[in-house]
Amino acid sequence: MRKTHAILAVLLLFSAILFVTAPSYGANTVKIGVLYPLTGGAADEGRELRAGAELAAEIANNIMPIDMDMARRAGISSLGGAKIELIFKDHEGNPTLGADQAKKLILDDKVAGIMGCYQSSVTKAVSAVCEQYGIPMINDSSTSPALTQRELQWFWRTTPNDFTFTKDFFELLKGLSEGKVKGVPAVPKQQIVKLASACEKTEWGSQVSETIDAFAKQYGFEVKRALLYAAKSPDLSSEVRSLQTAKPDAMLFACYASDAILMVKTLMAQKVSAKIVWGQDAGFEVREFWTTLGDDVVGILTRTVFAPKVAEVKKVSGQVNAIYKVKHGQDLSGASARAFTGVQAWVEVLQKAGSTKPEAIQQAANSISIPGDQLIVPWAGIKFASGKENKGQNELGSGIIGQYQKDKAGKIVLEIIYPFDLATANMIYPFKSF
Amino acid sequence: MDILTGSLVAGLLIGMVFALVALGLTIIFGMMDIVNFAHGEFLMIGMYTALIVAQTTGIDPLAAIPAAAVVGFVLGISCYYGFVKYLLRGPMVAQLLGTFGLMLLLRNLALLFFGSADRTIHSGILVNRAFDIGMGIIIPATKLAAAVLAVLSFAGTWLLMNRTRLGRAMRATALNRQGARYMGIPTERMNALAWGIGGATVTVAGALLVNFWSVTPFVGLLFTMIAFAIVAMGGFGSIPGAFFAGLLVGLITEFPGFWDFTAYITGSSWMAGISMTQFKYTGVYLAYFLIMIVRPRGLFGWKS
Amino acid sequence: MEILKKIFDFSGSPRYGLFATGIAGLAFLLFPILPHSSFSMSTIIQFFMFSLYAMGWNTIGGFGGQVDLGQAQFLGIGAYTTAVMMIRWNTPFWVSLPVGMSLAVAWSFVIGYPLFRLRGHYFAIASIAASLVLKDIFDAWSFVGASRGLEIPTTRYSSPDFLHLIFTQDIYYYYVIFVFFLLGFFFINWFRRSRLAFQLRAIKSNEEAAGSLGINPRWAKIKTYAIATAFVSTVGSFHACYIKNIETDDTMGLDISIMIALMAMLGGMGSLWGPIIGAGILIPLKIYIKEWLGARAGLVGLDLVIYAAIIMFISALEPRGIWGIVEKVRRRKLA
Repeated sequence: MRKTHAILAVLLLFSAILFVTAPSYGANTVKIGVLYPLTGGAADEGRELRAGAELAAEIANNIMPIDMDMARRAGISSLGGAKIELIFKDHEGNPTLGADQAKKLILDDKVAGIMGCYQSSVTKAVSAVCEQYGIPMINDSSTSPALTQRELQWFWRTTPNDFTFTKDFFELLKGLSEGKVKGVPAVPKQQIVKLASACEKTEWGSQVSETIDAFAKQYGFEVKRALLYAAKSPDLSSEVRSLQTAKPDAMLFACYASDAILMVKTLMAQKVSAKIVWGQDAGFEVREFWTTLGDDVVGILTRTVFAPKVAEVKKVSGQVNAIYKVKHGQDLSGASARAFTGVQAWVEVLQKAGSTKPEAIQQAANSISIPGDQLIVPWAGIKFASGKENKGQNELGSGIIGQYQKDKAGKIVLEIIYPFDLATANMIYPFKSF
Repeated sequence: MDILTGSLVAGLLIGMVFALVALGLTIIFGMMDIVNFAHGEFLMIGMYTALIVAQTTGIDPLAAIPAAAVVGFVLGISCYYGFVKYLLRGPMVAQLLGTFGLMLLLRNLALLFFGSADRTIHSGILVNRAFDIGMGIIIPATKLAAAVLAVLSFAGTWLLMNRTRLGRAMRATALNRQGARYMGIPTERMNALAWGIGGATVTVAGALLVNFWSVTPFVGLLFTMIAFAIVAMGGFGSIPGAFFAGLLVGLITEFPGFWDFTAYITGSSWMAGISMTQFKYTGVYLAYFLIMIVRPRGLFGWKS
Repeated sequence: MEILKKIFDFSGSPRYGLFATGIAGLAFLLFPILPHSSFSMSTIIQFFMFSLYAMGWNTIGGFGGQVDLGQAQFLGIGAYTTAVMMIRWNTPFWVSLPVGMSLAVAWSFVIGYPLFRLRGHYFAIASIAASLVLKDIFDAWSFVGASRGLEIPTTRYSSPDFLHLIFTQDIYYYYVIFVFFLLGFFFINWFRRSRLAFQLRAIKSNEEAAGSLGINPRWAKIKTYAIATAFVSTVGSFHACYIKNIETDDTMGLDISIMIALMAMLGGMGSLWGPIIGAGILIPLKIYIKEWLGARAGLVGLDLVIYAAIIMFISALEPRGIWGIVEKVRRRKLA
């Protein structure tokens, strides 16, 4: 009798606990749920993203001497000075977990909107949840083009997507063959026509792989080998060997942080040589990448959205970067810069909407236009496409291609190679073999 | 041509290390018919031990191997006396459940203490060096060292089991427990020793692997499956069987290279179009499945 | 009819136990109407889903005595069939469900026939091997979305859509899975007194002797395996409609297989209540620990450490799980 009663009591206790609802506190704040990979394989990027987002929230909530509108207001003036409050949740890189967290943020924490999530596979799942509940989501950091091809009504993306970025790379190759690249005489196309790609196999990487194939065809290059691999692989030697056998002139990668480091180390171990080595941002751009690999990264190209060099060119970037550097001891990166911009977009959208009602936010987002000089990233501005094609995509964004080089002091820096008119240094070509 | 030789050499080298991984499992199994689901987790602990010892004391990772061996030995013995001993009394299901629980426990304790981020060894005497012996064969020094040390450990263990009194006592217990007891052999201690030696060999394998494989708390599963496949193929309980089966499994994991090579010499473009690297380990699982169905005794085994 | 009698036959259980169950059942029925957090609703939905998975597993694992650690592959077949059919051909859930079940059962025959040559740990590991091979195949097969997974576009349907099982509010999903749960529960109640279950019991105690009595052990196990598979793939199809975003890592990974087996083993293999108790303990435990730890990265994995410890205790002291403890106590009282 006792034992069954005990079990029953436990079950009833559980049901009692289940009835407890989490109370939510009012105060004059607007809550935005932010989903990032704070643990797991992309934890490094997650940390940077969080830092960027938090800085933007701080600037929005206080008056600071920076030449941007949101720094001149304390809070969101059209909402009576309400402060923006970011609620961070960790999705660990797992789409189902992300969707779960999003649901909780929407239903229990009652957020006005969502931002995130870095990994395109997670953003895919989370945006589906937001669409289901009619809650606006701004995607600051995921680049798979498919995300804005779903005609969603509650999804906007500030960052340019891989379509733009991959095109940039092929423009670079084209420019290389036409002598447009700073410091390099025209290279005959025959010498750079063979490509090989290795991309991680979830939503993001597979999309990049397909985009590379499509553009290669368009620009007249040959993809000799296109591999997909699991980002969590402990060993990539067969993959690298497979790439090597294709004897490519240029190697293209789409890797997150830990696999990017592993990939380069494996390339080094097998003494692979190629004339051009390019990474589609993500792992290739994170601080751990060059601090771990040191001088071996010199010559590697990476697409990025922000490089510290931009801070020297754009006033607002310099101002924000200075504050960030004091707080975190390093410059802004593509990840932190985009997270910052995402929060900034949220602030401006809320400012324009003047209300936290979803419909008002939706209308504001669909019609907003943020000029480029407000942004720390070198874009022409933020304006979301409204047509059927690419609905929700910011059409004024652009990418940069940087190359790791050593400056006069011997430190590793990311020099801008593309766009050609923004180039800050001569490109190292061909890549010195590993 | 390079692909073929490159893959062959890589496969054999890694196969030797895999063989060492499986050695412990076959010893434990031979001794008491228990299959240790937590085997891969022991390996993972060996990897972390070597990594942490090397990083905190600054000594070369290869020199941390003895530390890993000690940890493995102690771990094996404590698992036996602390837990496995009680499992032996129960039905087979309990044993399965039990080592399974052990696997989860070790894996998640590691997750708790070390976090889920990848860790690798970034510096050491042999790290980032390679030998280029022509014919397109480039052998990273760490892999070569690992293979050599694996073979040595294997040989050492074989000598222990076959040429020493202790080894003979252990084999006697494995063959006939009652009989061994009548002969005065302390069978409980033999059991514990099996776990100790089994644990030590696999942690050493881990210490070798960590020089070129990154470690997370989750690497255990893959190696458990690899170890099972090797032990099944070589025959449960057979030490030489584990060695040859290890080489075989090592080659299986390199089959994408063989595939590419075949595509190259036959000039077949559809073959070249498919990249088999995604199926590296699928081949191992498939091999395990087929062997168990077709020849459960394995190639050399004496127990099925 | 004989069958109907067996379905509702609870003669083995004490009166107060049934009474308590009745109360719990009523509580679950009324739960969504009372105030609750979305969090608790999704917890209970998961509880029902995993109870069903575990009940299905229990037929071959508990009653059959063959510990299967590869059930996730059937979850995947069910989920992916429903997802693919809905995305490509707008197939109603009630049609893709039996299709998925048939495919899963067919696959279970294909691998079951060779698999049941083995027993004990060999069987367990071979089941893992088979499930990982299927997962790897799905991972590379673009028809099922390869590693990117599939997404069911909710924009195409207007909720509540009972034909396609697409709802914006969880309450509908709750009642649908509750009905499935009840169906599964009564099915197992029938199953445990069925001829097949008796055959399995004979096989478990002495396979050779059972064979000499005219029972075909292999065939009995294969039939049971098909039942387990049908359970798992049904809930898999539901999973696809509930989560709407499926990927191989989530649906077909080893972790899910382990969780399913674990719940049945913990709660008590070979009993009607075992899987439900197991799920009832593990699901809230997992979810609440995760919630209390929040975004604090430092304590990830603690929940599983706790269950691992529980499993280890149970395996060393009482391999028949929690339900085994309950029965032992009851027997002692009667004696």
